[in-house]
This record gives sequence, structure tokens and C-alpha cells, in this order.
Amino acid sequence: MTPLQFEALYQSEWQELGSLLDRVLGRGVTRESGEGVSGARVAALYRRACEQLALARARAYPAYLVDRLERLTADAHQVIYRQHEFGFARIQMMLTVDFPRAVRAQARYVAAAVALLMLPTVVVAIVVYRHPELILSVVSSETAASFDRMYSPAAHSIGVREAATDWMMFGFYIRNNIGVAFQCFAGGLFAGLGTIFFLAYNGAFSGAIAGYLTERGLGPTFYPFIVTHSAFELTAIVLSGAAGLRIGHSLLAPGRLTRRQALVEATRDSAIILYGVVAMLLVAAGIEAFWSSAPWLAPAIKYAVAALCWIAVLAYFTLQGRRAA
Amino acid sequence: MVTAETPEGILLELRPAGLGARFCAFMIDGIIRLAIIYTAAFAMAFMGGVGFAMWFILIFALEWFYPVVFELSPAGATPGKRVFALRVVMDNGLPVTAAASLARNLLRAADFLPFGYGFAVVSMLLRHDCKRLGDIAAGTLVVHEPPAASRIALDAVEPVVPVVALAPADQAALIALAARAPRLTAERLDELAALAAVVSGDAGRRGPDVTRRVLGVAYWALGRR
Repeated sequence: MTPLQFEALYQSEWQELGSLLDRVLGRGVTRESGEGVSGARVAALYRRACEQLALARARAYPAYLVDRLERLTADAHQVIYRQHEFGFARIQMMLTVDFPRAVRAQARYVAAAVALLMLPTVVVAIVVYRHPELILSVVSSETAASFDRMYSPAAHSIGVREAATDWMMFGFYIRNNIGVAFQCFAGGLFAGLGTIFFLAYNGAFSGAIAGYLTERGLGPTFYPFIVTHSAFELTAIVLSGAAGLRIGHSLLAPGRLTRRQALVEATRDSAIILYGVVAMLLVAAGIEAFWSSAPWLAPAIKYAVAALCWIAVLAYFTLQGRRAA
Repeated sequence: MVTAETPEGILLELRPAGLGARFCAFMIDGIIRLAIIYTAAFAMAFMGGVGFAMWFILIFALEWFYPVVFELSPAGATPGKRVFALRVVMDNGLPVTAAASLARNLLRAADFLPFGYGFAVVSMLLRHDCKRLGDIAAGTLVVHEPPAASRIALDAVEPVVPVVALAPADQAALIALAARAPRLTAERLDELAALAAVVSGDAGRRGPDVTRRVLGVAYWALGRR
């Protein structure tokens, strides 16, 4: 069969497939909708086009023919095998089942991340509490003074922060905290070392500030401030750190896979955790800006709400989605 | 060139985009983002603290989610990549999934180190498929959209029956020459046609007439009689 005969014989099929694909992909002049396109017809035409492409390649038909078939099959392949990830049901499923389950499946990494974040926090907090001058090796004296001012009871009783400032801080926290969480995750690519560093560094930094403020007697304003949003913020940072550790571990100990396969698999498994982390950080930033910093709320109320938040978060990760099939 | 096999056993050919094209696309995206940020700054300056917060959030969203949103759109690429006809696909040639797009863009935080996308550049230069670290981990690939192939326009040429038996590979070579003919200078076309002149019984001769007859054989091989 000559190329021109081949083209004449199958031309009409290619045109039909091409126009169906244009409708599905929403391109072309007519702007018809993709509704009512028969999936079975597209699939059947696609399989035939694949056979014809294989023939055209094997017979070394001219480039324009092979190209046309390659383009058709590539487009159809994209349409037929496209993965649909979104939709309300999918998001609900993710929140109620997939996310807590994914976290439980990574329990070892979560535990390691908790240790990496909290050990430096506690140790540095105690050290700085004993020797407050050490705060100066973490931050400059101006910054330390600004912490003093920020958390001094006087500042809050006058109520320096107004609604507009709350909004400003909301934006600032989102940018800063989500950045930290993403760094903890991405650091996993360096065999987990980056994650370990960022977790320990951020732990030590917050430990130093907590120890310093406690020693200065500012604990009564500092702890009510952080205790509520930390339920979401610390958990989110721990979870993204856990995902980073998982990635790092897949590189160091890929098992029976190649390192690259292990890495791709670990990243795919982590994606669901990342969705959850982003959502939790948004919640944390909202609480941090509008609830934690509200000076008119009694510390007792803040502690009570914080306890509820912590219980809710921990219960969510340990219990939620266990029964669903 | 990277190939991906479909379940039907067809090899899709993907052409990974190199550092140059991706850098240019990145710069265009950067300019677009800056333009949005500056425009928003003017608009939000009138709104006080709330405006400032929304501006911060906007910067944050543009920083991390600008590529994600565009990669998940039907075009599969940011405006900058579209200018250079680039697209983000999975390793198997399929449209990028939400999970992969989010992962490859969050992993920018690693690519960016130690400064100015240093690791990304090193990784892209060392790999034949030109992936940055985020691409490796997410299993994605930035590819050139395939260019349109030129059709063969030979209507002015009479088909010529070859004087020797032509193997399929010979026919393919002649047809490929015919397809390239419009892009070659006449002199070069004559030179190349002279190499194949044996097919039309003109071995050892050259010139526009020989060329026309060789192209005629190509036309015959295409199926015109």
C-alpha cells in the first residue's frame, strides 16, 4: 500500500477522531461543548489510530503522515487516560479519610519529626531560661527588645493592635509559616538533611524565644498567645517535616526500587499530606491573626479553647477515617 | 528525546525543554507576576491594613500557586511557558496531575538553594531529560509542543516510475528528500538529488531536470501514478 492510498483509506477516521478531540479539549472554531461525545467511539478510533501509527512507522511512511498520527494519538491518549482528581466528593473523601489515614501510615516519620522539632525546642528553652543572655546568640539585641515590647502586658492592655493590623499580621503569618513548612518538606530532597536542619533550627529558634520570654516573666502574655494556633501550626510543620523525612529516607534506603522510583513514589504518597498541610496552615494563620492576638479575651478562655483545638487535632489524626472501607 | 509508552504499545516522543527555553519562560512569568504585584499594590494602597494583608497573601499565592493553577488548566503551562510552546506533562506524557503539580512547585524550595535556583540549574544541565529536582521527585517533564510537520507539495511534478527496485528504506529516503525540498536552496537540492539519481536512471548526471525526475520518483513512491 502506498502512503497516499493509506491516507485516502483512513482519512475519514482521522478527521472524525480529530474533531471529537477538538470538542473534548474545547478548542477549534465552533466552540461546541464536549458534552455528548461518545467515549466508546473516541476509544475505538484511538485504538485504530494506534494500529495505523504502528503501521506507518514500520513502513517508513512520510513524516507528515506519521506526524499527523502521532499528534492524534498523543491528544487522544491525554484525553482517555487523564486523571480526574477534583470534585466535591473527592475533597470530602480527602478530609474525612485519606488525609488522617496517610498521616497514620507515616507514623514513624511523624514521630521522628516531632522529636526533631520538639527536642531542640525544649532543650534550648531550658538553656535560655537558665542563661537569658544566650538569646543574643540567636537574635540581635533590637529583636530581643522588640519581643519584650510585643509581649509586655502593657502593650496589650492599651490594645495597640486594631483590626487592620490583625489583617496585616494574617498576611505576614501565612507567608512566613507556610514558607517554613514548605522548606521542611523540600529539604527532604537532600537525603533528609535539609528537613532535619529546618525542623531543628525552627525548634531551637522558638525554644530560645519561649525560654527568654518566660525568664523575663512574660509567660502570662506569651503562652495564651501561641497555645491555640500552635495546635494547627506545629502539627502542620511536623507533618510536612514527616513528608520530607519520608522523601529523604526513600533516597537513602530505596529498597527494591531504584532511587528515582522510590523518590517518585514517596513524593506521590506525600502529596495528600501536603494538601492537608496547606489547609491546616491557613487555619493556623487565621487563628493567629484574629483569635490569638485578641487582647480582650481572658487567658482562661484561650487556654480552654486551645485545649479543645489540641484534642480535636489529635483525635482527628488518630481516630478519623478508621472505619471507612 | 524521551519516549513514553502508552498502554496500546505506541511510543510517544516527548522533547524535553532545555535550560534556555525554560529560563526565558521563567523570566516572562516573573515579569507577569511583578506586574500583578505592582498593580495590586496601587489598588490596595487605598484599603489600609486590610489591603496590605491581602497584598501579602497575593504575593504568597503568586509565589507558590501561580504555576500550579496554570499547569492544571487545559493548556498545561504558565503564560511564560506558552509563549515558548512548552508544556508540563507527566513522565508518561499524560497531563500533569494536581498532586504532581503541587509537589513539583513546592519543591522549588529545594531547587532554589543554595541561591538563584542553583540546584535546579545544575540538575537540568546534568540530565538528558533536563529535569530540575522538583521534576525528578514529582515525575514530571517540561516538553516542547510538537511543531507542525510540513506537507509535501509536489503538484507541479509528474510521477516517474523508478528504473530500479526500491526497498522501503529507499522510498522513505526519497520521500523525506521531497518533503525537505521547499526548505533547500536549488543548488543544494540538485546536489542531494544527484546522489539519488540512480533511481530515475540518471546516474552520474545532475541538474534541474535530474532533480525533477528524482522528485518524480519520490512522488511515485508516495503513491501517485
